[in-house]
Amino acid sequence: MTDPLVEIKDLRIHFFTDEGVVRAVEGIDLNIKPGKTLCVVGESGSGKSVMALSLLQIIHKPGQIVDGQILYHRGRVAGGQFSQNGAVDIASLNRKGRDIRSIRGAEIAMIFQEPMTSLSPMYTVGNQVMETIRLHEKGISKKEARERAIDILRRVRIPKPERLIDEYPFRLSGGMRQRVMIAMALSCTPSLLIADEPTTALDVTTQAQILDLMLELQQEFNMAIMFITHDLGVVAEIADDVAVMYLGNVVEYSDVDTIFNAPEHPYTQALLRSIPKISATRQPLDMIEGMVPSPFRRPGGCPFHPRCTQALASCSTVVPSLTTLHENHIVRCLLHEETGEEVPRG
Amino acid sequence: MWQYIFRRFGYMLFTLFVISIISFVVIQLPPGDYVDTLVNQMASESSGVSAEVEEQMRALYGLDQPVYVQYFKWVRNIVTRGEFGYSFVYRTDAREIIMDRLPMSFALALGAFLIVQLTSIPIGIYSAIKQYSIADYGFTFLGFVGRAIPNFLLALVLLYLSFRYFGRAMVGLFSEEFVDAPWSIARVMDLMRHLWIPAIIIGLDRGAGQIRTMRANLLDELNKPYVDTARAKGLSERRLLWKYPVRHAANPIISTIGWALPEFISGEAIVSIVLNLPTGGPIFLAALFAQDMFVAAGFILMFSVLTVIGTFISDVLLVWLDPRVRLQ
Repeated sequence: MTDPLVEIKDLRIHFFTDEGVVRAVEGIDLNIKPGKTLCVVGESGSGKSVMALSLLQIIHKPGQIVDGQILYHRGRVAGGQFSQNGAVDIASLNRKGRDIRSIRGAEIAMIFQEPMTSLSPMYTVGNQVMETIRLHEKGISKKEARERAIDILRRVRIPKPERLIDEYPFRLSGGMRQRVMIAMALSCTPSLLIADEPTTALDVTTQAQILDLMLELQQEFNMAIMFITHDLGVVAEIADDVAVMYLGNVVEYSDVDTIFNAPEHPYTQALLRSIPKISATRQPLDMIEGMVPSPFRRPGGCPFHPRCTQALASCSTVVPSLTTLHENHIVRCLLHEETGEEVPRG
Repeated sequence: MWQYIFRRFGYMLFTLFVISIISFVVIQLPPGDYVDTLVNQMASESSGVSAEVEEQMRALYGLDQPVYVQYFKWVRNIVTRGEFGYSFVYRTDAREIIMDRLPMSFALALGAFLIVQLTSIPIGIYSAIKQYSIADYGFTFLGFVGRAIPNFLLALVLLYLSFRYFGRAMVGLFSEEFVDAPWSIARVMDLMRHLWIPAIIIGLDRGAGQIRTMRANLLDELNKPYVDTARAKGLSERRLLWKYPVRHAANPIISTIGWALPEFISGEAIVSIVLNLPTGGPIFLAALFAQDMFVAAGFILMFSVLTVIGTFISDVLLVWLDPRVRLQ
């Protein structure tokens, strides 16, 4: 197994609101491998976006990392040409400090869900792309930065980048804007790209183009991608590994084939059953019973037990721990605790 | 962009034309004219005036002609000779009266404008980024108080306090030795020393409002996705704040910035009366009462010109600042 680029250990993120504490992320352990694509799937409210934001320390108030570590191993690249020792614990960095700012945009970059609102309409595309370059590469001249920006816009397949660089984002289509976002994120060749549902707001054709582009650029730039989505079709297409989240926990983690062909957690199984199928006979959609519980009333024990068809009596009281079934297949469920070996908590 | 500015300029000229008509007509609306005022005055002084004399006086002042002829002459004189007509009350050129007082009104309004912009915008920004802090509550409280107190009342209170505790009422815009002195550096400095108090009084209401507007707008912008994008690039909080959300939040304020000048100029009258300031407001009011029509119409026109110019400046600023306006 390759050494991870990012190790998330027992991460807990809580939102302290007037109505009570929302435990958005409640003990996540997850590794991101260099050069690979990790898809994080889950329903709305499962904490996947919050977890993604925490990797850059840009969670909105009143959210706060209350416990856990995010170890970022600087310079661990697939193939490992150069490796600096020592990891940075992102969770412990001051969120306004210099250290995290030198990571943001340069080493870990992010693209967001809404290309329409993620770019400011007040500045040109070039201004916003060059900003990242000039911020992280000291001493680069304005002219060089502009050439770099044109080059990166060309690499995300934007036609006539020399002209488009002086255009304002509100004059571009959604797909073009998302390309600009990608160009901006890749402009400093990060080792990890976080994409929070980058194709959700786009139409299906554009969506496919953007996904292809991201995979191509991943090869070219040799970077890891953490892709947040609730679209299992997208997962099947691009993922190396998959983490399934439910109410602030990763309930199952494995490579994409295992997740689709041999899922072990009842939630993963239910998710896969709920994908609509094209068949000769009309069948009702196999939905997961019930609703995601209110974030203020997180069920005790295994948070999925009220909706689980295979729940045991103990599921409502005992919090399941992580169980390794095979290499690279981890599940958090009492049904598997006896059979597998427990993962030691780090 | 130039096309837009050019078009706005055209609108401005047209608006001025319409305003000149309206201001002239409004002056004519109250029953009677200056001659009536004069006749009444004379009657009360027991020297009756015959209808014949009355008509002669009308002819002398040109008041016997139809309104549109009067208007046309009035406009022609303003445009070709810069003359605003004759002040019946002061028996002198109306231009002298207006030009004597208008710069003071303008200086006061400009002073209020600068003080308001330089304080309310930073305070609004501070309140938004430190939402629910003690300072934010403090500014919020001051903001509501500022909006709630009518400015003439504030002027009266300050007048009382200054007299009570400094033994000298804060009236006028000049110290005694400078009141009738010719313009000099020392006189300007003296004016500055006096100007800020009425400027704050006049600007308080709008300033307080702008604090609220800036705070609310910025709070809306602070959680927009483009702010996350900027932060995820690694920009420092200060840089990203000024470059992105503040720039967006300032739009509504910039687009109404031009209205501030006329607001201050019209708000000035009552404060000037209370504080006995030598500005245009009190004279304008007196001219309306006395039906000294050319002075009154001249003031209305000049105040309107300032309003329209202010709006034009707003428009230009907005085009310059917001590409969405420029490119559509």
